[in-house]
Amino acid sequence: MLDIGKRAGTRYVLVAGSIIALVAACSPTATNPPAGSAAATSAPAGSAGATASAGASSSGPIKIAIIDAQSGQLSSLGADEVQGVTLAVNAANAAGGIDGRQIQLQTFDDKGDPTTSTNVAQAVVSGGYIFVFGPAESTDTIAVAPILNKAQIPLITSGQSDAIANLHDPFVFLNTPTSSAFDSTLATYAVTTKGYKSIAMISNNDSYGKSEHDAFLTALKALGVTPVADQVVTPDQKDFSSALTSIRQTNPQALFIGAEEVESGLIVNQAKSLGLTAQIIGGAPILAVPFLQTAGPNADGCIGTSPYIGNNVNDQTKAFAAAIQKAYGATPDLHQAKAYDGAQIVILALKQTHGQGGKALADAIRATKYNGLVGSFSFDADGVGVHQTQLAVIQNGQAVPLQ
Amino acid sequence: MEVFVQTVVGGLTFGAIYALVALGFSLIYRTMALVNFAHGDVLMLGAYLGSTMILSFRLPVAVAMVASTLLTAAVGIGIERILRPLENKDLDLMLIGTLGFGIVLQSGAIIVWGTAGQAVRIPFGAAPIDIAGIIVQPYDLMILVAAAAIGTALYLFLGRTKLGLAMQASAMDFQAASAMGIDVGRMNAIAFAIGSALAAIAGNLAAPLLYVEPTVGVSLGIRAFAAAMLGGFGSIPGAIVGGLAIGLLDSFATGMFQGYGEVVTFVTFALLISLRPTGIFGEHTISRV
Amino acid sequence: MNLQRWLLWLVVVAVAVAGSGALDGYAVHTLDVALIFAILAVGLSLTQGVAGQINLAQVAVFGISGYTTAVLTTTFHWDFWATLPVSVLLALAAGLLLGLPALRMQSHYLGIVTLGLAIAFSSFAANAPLLGGAAGISNIPSPGLLGISFNTDHQYFYLLLGALVLGLLYADFIRGSGLGLRLRAMRDDHVAAAAIGIHVAAMRVAAFAFGALFAGLAGNLYAGLIGYVSPDTFSIFVMFELLAMMMIGGRQSIYGSAAGAILVIVAQSLLINFQNYAQLGYGVLQVAVVVAAPMGLAGLAYRTWRLARTRHASGTTVQIAPYAGRLAQADPVAAIDGTVIGVTGLSKRFGALRALDDVTLDIHGGVIQGIVGPNGSGKTTLFNVLTGLYRADGGTVTVLGVNVLRRRPDQLSQIGVARTFQNVRLFRSLSVLENTQVGIRRSGRLWEYAVAPWRGAARDREARRKALEILDGLGLSAVAKQLPGELPYGLQRRVEIARALAGEPRLLLLDEPAAGLNGDEVRELGDILRDVRRVGVNVVLIEHNMSLVMSLCDRVAVLNFGQLLIESEPAIVSHDPAVVEAYLGRRAAVAGAPVTVG
Repeated sequence: MLDIGKRAGTRYVLVAGSIIALVAACSPTATNPPAGSAAATSAPAGSAGATASAGASSSGPIKIAIIDAQSGQLSSLGADEVQGVTLAVNAANAAGGIDGRQIQLQTFDDKGDPTTSTNVAQAVVSGGYIFVFGPAESTDTIAVAPILNKAQIPLITSGQSDAIANLHDPFVFLNTPTSSAFDSTLATYAVTTKGYKSIAMISNNDSYGKSEHDAFLTALKALGVTPVADQVVTPDQKDFSSALTSIRQTNPQALFIGAEEVESGLIVNQAKSLGLTAQIIGGAPILAVPFLQTAGPNADGCIGTSPYIGNNVNDQTKAFAAAIQKAYGATPDLHQAKAYDGAQIVILALKQTHGQGGKALADAIRATKYNGLVGSFSFDADGVGVHQTQLAVIQNGQAVPLQ
Repeated sequence: MEVFVQTVVGGLTFGAIYALVALGFSLIYRTMALVNFAHGDVLMLGAYLGSTMILSFRLPVAVAMVASTLLTAAVGIGIERILRPLENKDLDLMLIGTLGFGIVLQSGAIIVWGTAGQAVRIPFGAAPIDIAGIIVQPYDLMILVAAAAIGTALYLFLGRTKLGLAMQASAMDFQAASAMGIDVGRMNAIAFAIGSALAAIAGNLAAPLLYVEPTVGVSLGIRAFAAAMLGGFGSIPGAIVGGLAIGLLDSFATGMFQGYGEVVTFVTFALLISLRPTGIFGEHTISRV
Repeated sequence: MNLQRWLLWLVVVAVAVAGSGALDGYAVHTLDVALIFAILAVGLSLTQGVAGQINLAQVAVFGISGYTTAVLTTTFHWDFWATLPVSVLLALAAGLLLGLPALRMQSHYLGIVTLGLAIAFSSFAANAPLLGGAAGISNIPSPGLLGISFNTDHQYFYLLLGALVLGLLYADFIRGSGLGLRLRAMRDDHVAAAAIGIHVAAMRVAAFAFGALFAGLAGNLYAGLIGYVSPDTFSIFVMFELLAMMMIGGRQSIYGSAAGAILVIVAQSLLINFQNYAQLGYGVLQVAVVVAAPMGLAGLAYRTWRLARTRHASGTTVQIAPYAGRLAQADPVAAIDGTVIGVTGLSKRFGALRALDDVTLDIHGGVIQGIVGPNGSGKTTLFNVLTGLYRADGGTVTVLGVNVLRRRPDQLSQIGVARTFQNVRLFRSLSVLENTQVGIRRSGRLWEYAVAPWRGAARDREARRKALEILDGLGLSAVAKQLPGELPYGLQRRVEIARALAGEPRLLLLDEPAAGLNGDEVRELGDILRDVRRVGVNVVLIEHNMSLVMSLCDRVAVLNFGQLLIESEPAIVSHDPAVVEAYLGRRAAVAGAPVTVG
């Protein structure tokens, strides 16, 4: 019989604890720096002493905030965005900053919660920050936009919901195409290029999934096609047997997935195991690392669309990936890339305004043209900078551009 | 009809996962009078340990599972020591205390493993079984069998072995049990160890069907808790039945009501509990009204 | 709890001064959010802390109100202030609905059910097109009042502060009123509460309603402040945070809960740059508070204050007056001539065990009736059937002319049945005076407290006066402010009698009232009960103390293994062979020894 005396029990715990620590230290992602590390700030060299007061200041560091989820379910998005932004900003600071002034980044955790993000936005307004990177979550972006608009602080978000563009807010910019762009590319490919007639849809009902669903449906309608199935699932759902079996019965040629990376991977796994042979098509999540990990070999053959296909596409992306690998030991994907592009654009704009924020900065951003990792940026009145995405197919666990 | 049966298959598979987690909930409640809301996060710990051993140390899956289960059990003993003051207190205190501990586990996991998760594959590559158009995955079958086997073993352990009876006794009346020579503290430690082991096994078994990340235990935990209640809190067969019931309820609710599935699941659950407040098998508790 | 009130008003003044312009925009915004959560926490404290009803759906009621405001202002273009009553009313309706599960279950069942309903609400909000789906509803206009538009955080601050102050005053009034006493009594011991006439089901629903009132107010003000609502705003994670705020502050204290909310939000804002380690620390804090200070900061403060007070006051021992026969001077109760309790063929089974087996018994008015029997003979079971706690399996039972079969314990209490329990069941967090006061009949009606507080307050004053009278009559005035746990056992028993008499009963059932009493105390008990009978109240007592039974009771009934052996005068009963055998065994019966256990 198991006989754990009091002392032995403590010993077991200690031994177990050390083993766990050892195991954890050798885990694949342990080399990532903890989120929100102060790697962004460098000693303000040569700055003229005076601490920045609220609002515009013409000397001292340029204060920029990053608002993202650093804890909770969306924290990986936040971590990725921080990586992309800090890479760009560190390089700019090393090259002399803006007119000799260093950019000082501060990360704020909004926990993916709208109330917290409004609090954070207020902190940003009171703290003398002149620009905001993020939030990565569409709902949080919608929550903070009015507050930052009032203080005339521009933001650039990685959220892609059309609802953000529909804010028509002159201080809001997106570093990614909106769902409409993604899905019209996808729909055009499916209907026009491949000639699919029967297309099924499965999407979730959070803000991303809903916007994907609506955009794809609109794009299909514009091409005169009605989907043969339109299943909606919840973001937390684990079992898709019912939805997928219903879809299988309609014998679709293609299955559109509108969900985040992990859920898409789970859906693909279950679809394949249920014998669904339809061509899987989806947006950026299909090309992202968590999807590839979760779906494993089932990912091969899936087609996705994204402005950033992969790290080996051209010299620019290769250099970028190498830099991220060197700085953070991580393999980047779309999240880091678009954050990086956004940061580069803001740096260019800041050079134009000589470190000034407010409306001048917003106008400068809008006027900036930039060839980035995710495309050629040219901002419209709603703040959307990139309007095209590319198609890619997964081969041997890698995203390869589709011709 | 095809959709119906396939939904049943899917619902039972995840129901088995919920059952395994519910077993741990019920065991800890029955033997320690502790409602442990951090149980789902213990599952997460077990899953992370197992997946790390598979991915980083390249251990065979079975070895990784056993090792991570043992490790988690040992950690469980430590957790029991910390949470001991909460036993037998009212629900508010247990809820907040164990929730707080869950936050500690989740934050710890983020600090250690980062926010990106890990994915493991189904360990054996057997082809799906096709029964008249209904697809059954051998792995899912294995989970069902495992849940049934573990449930049975636990039932026999509690009811037929001296140690199991001692554990129950110490929950019912710890003073009397002490007077009988039962080391109540040790019983509680063992109970928590077993409960944590159950969570780790569930986590390891479920990992290939999910994605291992710091919050993986949250939604699983809530459903498993509901399952334990539905079956009768503290009842071993109740945990199994409740788990399968919640799994089926979830799958059918999302199948029929799509996005509103969650609403249907929890409203139905509320109605069921209102109809039979002590759960299907009745509550095996130690509290006296 | 004057100290707490003083402290809180101090804090309120400080906050008001601080918010008046000395702080920057972010700090004021943080305080605004803190004040809204304080209002929420006060409501939750009423439901959970004061009334003991687990309510993990408070955040959903908050959300219903917030969404109502959002939809009415953005889709239907209502004026903001017009949405306030509607939002609060809908929140109230939701709260009442949520109270229904509370009638069927408590504790962790109620917890998981309310949690599930909270998840259901969040999920529903994410799907319903009217509610904006997952993206929520934005551009909610901020309210205007008398030409002032509350669209800066500073102006909103005063609005919120006023709301919180009003809310605190109202909640404090409720808590301290007769209604609050009933809620707290129910929380401490719902069985004893029903026995003294509290309609437990109504109280539970009321508890949820009050909590919902505050959630409704908070939801409306939140929408106006933040201008945006989404399903994530009202997720269960927010609920857990709210719960933690209440626990840290002290859930049984209105002021503590409000303070807890303000503290936590302010602390979170100060740690806003410290992400994961802050989360870790926060989790540790939660565990620590629960383990080390379960009553929260308010509880710690109260304990230290009380400790200081008693330490300061030690030196004078409290003088308990011996019973001076003053009960006999109370207003007489109409005597009953005929049967007070009529039992015919009563049976009660628990599984295979026959606790009561075909018992037929008549107890007449004007006598003190004793019920004796060995342990396990069914005496307490009989009492429980008589008071409506158990339902008989067979037979008929009438008490004071009423068939008890379909009656709840509180209904029986209302017609004049009072009881004490085998293990003293006083309300442990209520003082002796409050224990007695909550038993006073004709205390305020529920609706009076909610809608016409002055009437409720008047009734409370009257009830308090009467309660003091009763305590005085029993010689308990000196310990009126003590908690039951601070009193010796004998006094606790006397307090239980005081509480029972507070309901002006016509029938008093006492379950082993002499257990644990010494000789003097037993004698006093006899005097008290004789005076009670003299006033006209019928007395039935279960007892093991044979000398008390013999000297006090006019008639004695003997139960054994659920059956009635004999019912007659004490002298006859003590010599009855069956009784002797039951108590002393066959040999003693044969030997003819009477039962004289002292």
